[in-house]
Amino acid sequence: MISDSITNASATAAPSAKDFGKKKRTNRSAKLKQSKLGLRREQWLSQVAMANKGDKEEIDSNRKPRSENPDQRDRPVENLDGLSREAEDNSGTHHHESFIESLSNSPNSILSGMNSIPNFSSSSSSGSGGSCSGNITEEEDPDDDGCLDDWEAIADALAADDDKHEKENPPESCEEHASIKQSASPRASVSGSNVAIRDVKPAMSRKQKSNQAWRPDDKLRPQGLPNLEKQRSFPVMNLHYSSVAVPSSCPICYEDLDLTDSNFLPCPCGFRLCLFCHKTICDGDGRCPGCRKPYERNTIKVEASVQGCGLTIRLARSSSMFCRS
Amino acid sequence: MMTPGGSGRFRPLPTAMYAGYSGTASSWVAKTSVSASGKRIQREMAELNVDPPADCSAGPKGDNLYHWIATIIGPSGTPYEGGIFFLDIIFPSDYPFKPPKLVFKTRIYHCNVDTAGNLSVDILRDSWSPALTITKVLQAIRSIFLKPEPYNPALPMIARLYLSDREKHDEVAKEWTLRFAK
Repeated sequence: MISDSITNASATAAPSAKDFGKKKRTNRSAKLKQSKLGLRREQWLSQVAMANKGDKEEIDSNRKPRSENPDQRDRPVENLDGLSREAEDNSGTHHHESFIESLSNSPNSILSGMNSIPNFSSSSSSGSGGSCSGNITEEEDPDDDGCLDDWEAIADALAADDDKHEKENPPESCEEHASIKQSASPRASVSGSNVAIRDVKPAMSRKQKSNQAWRPDDKLRPQGLPNLEKQRSFPVMNLHYSSVAVPSSCPICYEDLDLTDSNFLPCPCGFRLCLFCHKTICDGDGRCPGCRKPYERNTIKVEASVQGCGLTIRLARSSSMFCRS
Repeated sequence: MMTPGGSGRFRPLPTAMYAGYSGTASSWVAKTSVSASGKRIQREMAELNVDPPADCSAGPKGDNLYHWIATIIGPSGTPYEGGIFFLDIIFPSDYPFKPPKLVFKTRIYHCNVDTAGNLSVDILRDSWSPALTITKVLQAIRSIFLKPEPYNPALPMIARLYLSDREKHDEVAKEWTLRFAK
C-alpha cells in the first residue's frame, strides 16, 4: 500500500501521457491479461476471507490493502437495506477519503479505481505490487477503452460521485450502476456475488474475532442473549479496550501486563493490576490497592449465571475469576 | 498454595521462588533474587536512587535485599531539626501484599514511636496497600515529624503532653534529638 502510493505519486506527472501510448500497444495482449486477472481474482477472494476477519471498526485504512475500498463503498450501493450501512458509516467515509486521496494522487489508481468497482482484482494488484502501478492501463479490456480514453472526465465524475456519496447516499446508486455497466459487464455479475458473500461476512467476522462476547450495543447481537449487570458496574470497560492509558507493567509486582491483564479492570476506581497480584490480594484481605475498598464480590453471581448459559470470556476475565470462595 | 517465595508468578524456576526468605532477615537469600517481591524491591531501590524523597535515604543494609536501612533527617522547623534518625526496614517475603516493618534505631521522643522504635502509623498496619512504596512510607514518616498524630499514639504519655503542653513537649524532643540523633 505504501509502496503503491509512492510509486503512484512518482508516476503522476510523466507517465500519464505515456500510458496511453502503451495502452494502445498492449491491447493485443488483453486476452492474456484477462486470464491473469481471473487468477488474481481467485487469489484475492481467498485473501479477503483472511483480511476481512478484523472488526470493521478497527480497520485502519493505512494498513488494510486498498482492495477493501471498492468493496466498502460498493456494498451500500448494492444493497440498500440500511442496516449494515449504518454500522459502517464511519468506516465507509473513512475509506472514501482515502479513496479520493488516492484518486487525486495518480491517474493509475483512478483507472484501477474505475476498474475495480466491478472488478476487485485490478485494485488489489495495484495494491499488492508496486510494479503493477506503472502499467495498470494494460489491464483494461478492449471494450473499456471507449470510456477510459478520457479518464480525466471520469475521474472528475467519480470524485463528484464520492462527494455525493458522503452527503447523500442513495441517489448515486444509479450512477454507480451505470459505471458498472460501462466497464466490463461480465465482471459485474462476479462483483454482485461478491457483495452477496460480503454481506454475510460482518456477522461472521464479528463472531470469529477472538471469541469476544457481544457488546450490548451491537446491532447484530442475537436477541436471545441475556443482558448482564456487568456492563453497568464497569462503565469504562469498553473505553479501556482501546485506551492508551493502560500501564505497561503491574504497579504491584512490576511484571509486564499481558493482553489479559491489560483488559482486566477489577475495581471501579480504575486501579489496574495483573491477575496474579489480584489473586494474591483476594486470597488475603481482598481490598483494592488503589482505593482500599474491598473488591466487589457480587461479580461472582454474574459469573455463575453466565456459566449456566455457556457465555463466557469477558466476564470470567473481568473480575471474579479468583474471587470464588 | 502460596510458597514461601510468596506472591510469585508461575515461572519455571525451582529455586528462585524461594529466594525471598523473610523471617528474621539475615538468613540465606539468593544473590540474584528473581521472585516477585525481589523484583519489586529492586525496582523500588532503583526508583529511590533516581528520585529520593526529601531528607530521606534508604538502601539495603548488606547484600540482603530484604533488609534495608534508612535515614531520615529531622525537618527544619521541628524539634527534630538536624537530627539523623536511622530506621531498619524489613521486607516480608510476600512484600507488596504485606507491609514492611520499620523500626527506629535512633531513639526519638515522638508520640507515634514507642520505646522499642516501633511506629504507630496506620499505613504500616491496617491501611497498608500494595500500591504503596517505601518512598511513600518514608515520606509518611517524615510527615509525622512535622505533624505528630497524637490520636493514634504509640506512647500515650507523650501524646498527652503534646496536646496539653506543646512547648514542653518540643523542648524534650529537642533535647532527645540533641542527645541521641546527632
